[in-house]
Amino acid sequence: MVELDHRFETGKDEAYNWDAILDLDRIIPCVEGGKVLERESDEKAKAEIKVKMGAMSMTFRGTVEVTERDDAAHRAVLAVRSKDMGGSGYANADVTFALGDGGGAIHTEAKISGKAASMGEGVVQTVLDALIRDFTTKLAAI
Amino acid sequence: MEYGPHNAELTVHTKRAGAAAKAGHDLTLLVERWSATADGDTVTLEADPRSLTVVKGEGGITSLGQDEKDAIKQTIDEDVLPAEPIRYAGGQLTLNGVTRPIAVTFDGTEGRAEIKQTDFKIKPYSALFGTLKVADVVEVKVRTHG
Repeated sequence: MVELDHRFETGKDEAYNWDAILDLDRIIPCVEGGKVLERESDEKAKAEIKVKMGAMSMTFRGTVEVTERDDAAHRAVLAVRSKDMGGSGYANADVTFALGDGGGAIHTEAKISGKAASMGEGVVQTVLDALIRDFTTKLAAI
Repeated sequence: MEYGPHNAELTVHTKRAGAAAKAGHDLTLLVERWSATADGDTVTLEADPRSLTVVKGEGGITSLGQDEKDAIKQTIDEDVLPAEPIRYAGGQLTLNGVTRPIAVTFDGTEGRAEIKQTDFKIKPYSALFGTLKVADVVEVKVRTHG
């Protein structure tokens, strides 16, 4: 398992940020290559992420679901469960958001298997870190 | 002596770099349109920058298919290599409008040169948020048939 911590800044108030991160239609496209395929409920969506590696790409398809939410503390966990559409691997992650005024913290616990994992944990960690950093810059404009 | 694709092969060899280099491929690119003349020690060569095709990709977590090779060619043509004429004469290479001396070695059947892309104001290809890149230095080889 890979664990990563990041911070993000939006410059907006906590209530705005809370609504934004729980709105799957807004937050999923903030992941590069990510899109909502179908909303199953307010707190669950079918989604996919296409990771481009030059001319090659890997598409992971599955669900994103708000599995924990503490409206008072503005803390939520989004669970990503996805399969590699071109192989037998999977990419799962529990992403915990803890918000404050102006931004917040993101803690990611990810498990990746299959072709992507065959690059080694160090590579997976570096690429995930770059993906989440990019995500935080897009959150800044949400 | 005149040279070209009919009696020789001009290839470009790229290496992958970056933290996610394992996901990429070392490429062999064939230059399909070029001509050269050799008169004693004096060699001049001209090549069409739009005539590079991918003939081989080594490494990667999956092998390169024709679709990927075509996509790489498109990326080279659209994003990496400008359409400026490529010319080598008098020990100087002109590429992307920049002229600089390059070192060429020749052993009788094969000539080799290393070209640093950034020396010629070419931005090496980069993907996956910069974790997968083409190394700045590429190798060019010219080999006569037979």
